[in-house]
Amino acid sequence: MTILIDHLSTFNFKHKSLLKNGTEKMKKLILKSGLYIFLFLISLELLVRLFHLGKDTPTRILDEYKVEKWMPNQNGYSVTGNRRQNFSEYRINNSGFNSYREFTPTKKNIEIALVGDSFIEGFHQNYYNSIGKKVEKSIPEIEVYEYGYAGYDFADQLHLIHAYKEEFETIDHIVLGIKFSNDLTRGEYQVVTSRLALESPINKLLKKSKLLVYSKSIGILNSPQKLLYRLMNILNPAPKTQSVSEEEILRIKKEKENQYLANFDSLVSKYGYDKNRFTLLLDSRITSRLFISHLKENDYNYIDFSEYFEKSDHPTTLIYDRHWNNYGRDLIAKAISEYLKKKELIKE
Amino acid sequence: MLFNSLDFFIFLPVVFIAYWFFFYKNLRLQNIFILIASYLFYGIWDWRFLFLILASTTVDYFVAQYIHNSDSNKQRKRWLWVSVIFNIGLLGFFKYYNFFVDSWVDLIHIFGYKLQSSWTLQIILPVGISFYTFQTMSYSLDIYYKRLTPSKDFISFATFVSFFPQLVAGPIERASNLLSQLTTKRTFNYKQCTEGLKLIIWGLFKKVVIADSIAPIVDDIFANYENYPASTLILGVTLFSFQVYGDFSGYSDIAIGTAKLFGIELMSNFKFPNFSRNVAEYWQRWHVSLSTWFRHYVYIPLGGSRVNKLKSIRNICIIFLVSGFWHGANWTFIAWGGIHALLYIPVFLMGRNRIYMDNVVAENSWFPPIKEIFQILLTFSLITFSRIFFRSESITDAFGFLEQIYNNFSFEIYEHPLGYRMIDYFVLLGLFTLYEFRIRRDERSPFKFKSRIVRFIAYTLVILCMLLFFDDNIDRSFIYFQF
Repeated sequence: MTILIDHLSTFNFKHKSLLKNGTEKMKKLILKSGLYIFLFLISLELLVRLFHLGKDTPTRILDEYKVEKWMPNQNGYSVTGNRRQNFSEYRINNSGFNSYREFTPTKKNIEIALVGDSFIEGFHQNYYNSIGKKVEKSIPEIEVYEYGYAGYDFADQLHLIHAYKEEFETIDHIVLGIKFSNDLTRGEYQVVTSRLALESPINKLLKKSKLLVYSKSIGILNSPQKLLYRLMNILNPAPKTQSVSEEEILRIKKEKENQYLANFDSLVSKYGYDKNRFTLLLDSRITSRLFISHLKENDYNYIDFSEYFEKSDHPTTLIYDRHWNNYGRDLIAKAISEYLKKKELIKE
Repeated sequence: MLFNSLDFFIFLPVVFIAYWFFFYKNLRLQNIFILIASYLFYGIWDWRFLFLILASTTVDYFVAQYIHNSDSNKQRKRWLWVSVIFNIGLLGFFKYYNFFVDSWVDLIHIFGYKLQSSWTLQIILPVGISFYTFQTMSYSLDIYYKRLTPSKDFISFATFVSFFPQLVAGPIERASNLLSQLTTKRTFNYKQCTEGLKLIIWGLFKKVVIADSIAPIVDDIFANYENYPASTLILGVTLFSFQVYGDFSGYSDIAIGTAKLFGIELMSNFKFPNFSRNVAEYWQRWHVSLSTWFRHYVYIPLGGSRVNKLKSIRNICIIFLVSGFWHGANWTFIAWGGIHALLYIPVFLMGRNRIYMDNVVAENSWFPPIKEIFQILLTFSLITFSRIFFRSESITDAFGFLEQIYNNFSFEIYEHPLGYRMIDYFVLLGLFTLYEFRIRRDERSPFKFKSRIVRFIAYTLVILCMLLFFDDNIDRSFIYFQF
């Protein structure tokens, strides 16, 4: 009996020590995995920096006229695609825009301003091969100033021109890029706080990790974001969407078009619009007919680049990105140059 | 739940930690927990089909006991038929019902009668049905052949059928391996866990980097084969060979690695089939769990190679055609199986079907001799050729593909459908093949480096490659889920 008890207690002890040993090894595995993950992150951060896989992001500012732009005099590289499929250098000039030029308009020279969003901003190309530069190559007598900023809508554009009135009055002609479905959602300029929130201390800190920026740009963080969204929806379920009839969709679409048109008129009257000097740059394929008729009826000039793109037998946008590629930018520059040549801006 | 989804990477650590911290105390707790986790894993996809798994489990659990307790052979056979009919019936209904109806309608049409195919049904194919029905059937067959005694623990048996790492796409386990492990209490094994993690990383690499990155190219070429020259079509089917290998062997590696985390050793499913020196060796290395299943439960009961040559050839044809049909309800798979039978028979007749069973290419050298390189290339080409049928949507498409190669036998540089650099993929596949050749002796140790630093560099590069070739916009499900 004593032997049996001894045997059982030895077994129990051995069993317990095995379990203890197992738990300790398990803890070791978890700790070691944590350490490995940390080291992987450090190594990947270094590799991403070494091969410059992640894009640089310049700092945004809100100037004294409440114009949002890039902090002057910065440069870096913009990267698109997992394997650096598109790699280009940007240079933010003294005025806070991406350009190889400094903007110093004079009465003597002929200056053209291109105002618009990321398509005009052109981080996807080397700053010395921008649309402006291409136009200058086509018409050597002029200087092109590119006031492009990602996310600029028509309100941002007119507010910029209005805020820097003196500078823009010296510029001979101004071309404003406009996308009807995006750029006329508001009838008055207000600072876009959500964009400036990207400069919050936490975002600035996150941007310091090139690995994080890279992971976000290639979509690897989409799943965690979606998961977070799903979890949030569990806590606060969104109201069920009701099926909408086609007539209702048409009615909403029409309502929106009228609203955008009203916003256009409101912005024009609020910030001023010189029909002789200002020209809109648009793609009629994605622009409301109502808006085009409105432009025609009210003598607003516009450049429609759709026919250049339609004729093209090469892709006009980048891989991984809907922005214009070099060929697309060539076509845009061609459209602008031909328009300017017709305008006969060249001073004898 | 996909192995390459975020859901799984949340599910796995939670289950792993809970299993070893809270459910390690006794075997019953371990199995109950694994069973719940497995049903959750499957139920997230579609909970309704859990009833099918449960039904298959229950039927085979009791049938096995009846077989075991039966006094006469006739009675044993009768109970075996219950299991076979039930499992094949499940497969037949969910996987092949529409195929048989359509084929019947087509056959009638050949004889000049027109019949509306109004009997076809909108049936969802339950993921993994081909795998778990074969697994449960193998159990009843093993009991019938007296290789095993039936389990009296329903929980362990249910865990054997639904063990989540291998539930939806194998390896198709035998009770002698998996069930025996599930009836023994698992203790935490550090080395086994680290080996499991390494296999998971390597499996993910094969899936994300190899299979998923070339999938858009293969899809484009097979969808538009009429517009491409022979060079592009050959490229397409060659890339498909890599895609299907990366996809399925990647899945198997993740499954084996995940099982290791829970103290379970699953059988190897892929042993570097791309380095096979003949078709027989290929079948000893490709989808091993299925090919051995057919060998044990179809080929050998039919007499295998112990009967006369003619009957052996018949048996070979049967297992390859059935194996083809197992893959899907389409004539393309039957044709694929038929091609493999035709490729295998000459090897069998020459008596070369077992000569490479116990060795690998370049067994004792760094580089294979010219003869072996030639053999590998020839085998790879033949297997790749058969995949035209495996990948095509229909027999008409497969022959159209071949006709296009013949009629438009020219070379043209292929451009990626999304405009990416093709050179990236060629370099990637070249390096992958070289690395696989280096590790060819042990499919369960993809990172066999003595130096810890070199090992760490290898892991980092593998993860970097996953980032470099990750594409959020593609369908990331596994090819073999459809089977």
